[in-house]
Amino acid sequence: MSESRRKLPAPAAFSPEDMARRKRRNIALALVLAGLVVFFFVVTLVKTGPAIMNRPL
Amino acid sequence: MSAAFDTRNDGVALTSTGEARDFFALLKPRVMSLVIVTALAGMATAPGSVHPVIALASLLAIAVGAGASGCLNMWYDADIDVLMTRTAKRPIPAGRVLPSEALAFGLTLSIGAVLVLGLVANVLSAAMLAFTIFFYAVVYSMWLKRWTPQNIVIGGAAGAFPPMIGEAVVTGDLGMHSLVLFAIIFLWTPPHFWALALVKSADYARAGIPMMPNVAGPAATRRQIVLYSLVMAPVAVLPALMGFGGLAYLVVSVTTGLAMIALAIRVWLITEGEAATKACYSLFGFSILYLFALFAVLLVENGLGLMWALPKVMG
Repeated sequence: MSESRRKLPAPAAFSPEDMARRKRRNIALALVLAGLVVFFFVVTLVKTGPAIMNRPL
Repeated sequence: MSAAFDTRNDGVALTSTGEARDFFALLKPRVMSLVIVTALAGMATAPGSVHPVIALASLLAIAVGAGASGCLNMWYDADIDVLMTRTAKRPIPAGRVLPSEALAFGLTLSIGAVLVLGLVANVLSAAMLAFTIFFYAVVYSMWLKRWTPQNIVIGGAAGAFPPMIGEAVVTGDLGMHSLVLFAIIFLWTPPHFWALALVKSADYARAGIPMMPNVAGPAATRRQIVLYSLVMAPVAVLPALMGFGGLAYLVVSVTTGLAMIALAIRVWLITEGEAATKACYSLFGFSILYLFALFAVLLVENGLGLMWALPKVMG
């Protein structure tokens, strides 16, 4: 490793309570993303209609 | 309780540990619920129909777009929110969410909501949503709010657009129905907001916001509340006269409109002490109920087909 390599910032210290909060936030974000997947899937089906199945593979 | 922040070596915060509910609070959920009801009423009263899934998806995009504009408003106003009792507990002034996070959140949701509405519904409704976000976040928040006592009068247009977006989703066009709904919300905003501003004028003075009671004085504001209510209440009856509100709407709009006028007159007459504060809060609280009631009845009559139709008088 080069001596001139920029020193990375030291990680901030999080309390267990902070980590729990962050975890809850990440779970909420994951649920929103999963919801978006379902949302786009359903909307695509409705917009395209039955013709979505009628295509060459 | 303020959250811990991830910091750089120089102490600049990078991310907060704000929770999902803090980010949800940035979207002004109560305003969003009003937007949902009014946009849905715009869809229901529009001449035409749309697939329920498309309607629901569009409504979600409109609600998220409105919430995003609220988030951008909170990002920009954090410096004055911290000075006012009503807003000091919001996520940014309370230190639970960083301004940079709120800005990124608001911009991302704004762009996402407009794109989704454009793809799901049509270009006109997406353009109108984009304009609404711009109007609220830039024209109202950044320009009008700190500059003129007419801030919430002109800015009220932002809150009045959702029914028009709703109609645009269904028809791809704009018509008289949603224009009337726009007018109702537009005329409703000043008496609604000024009732609160009369009570919170010390807050607004501390933050340097030129609200009507601080600039023109409480007496002039009370007079204008009555005048706006006198114009608003008859306009709110128009849907019944134009044939897209039925008998139930006629009854509700007339009775609650008269109640709004009566409460406005009470604010005008009672100017001193605890009774004056109570009169203002009564008008403020009832005005929210009033708008919800008008649009909910329109929704039930048009959306569920439960309309006892009246003869069309005009429009």
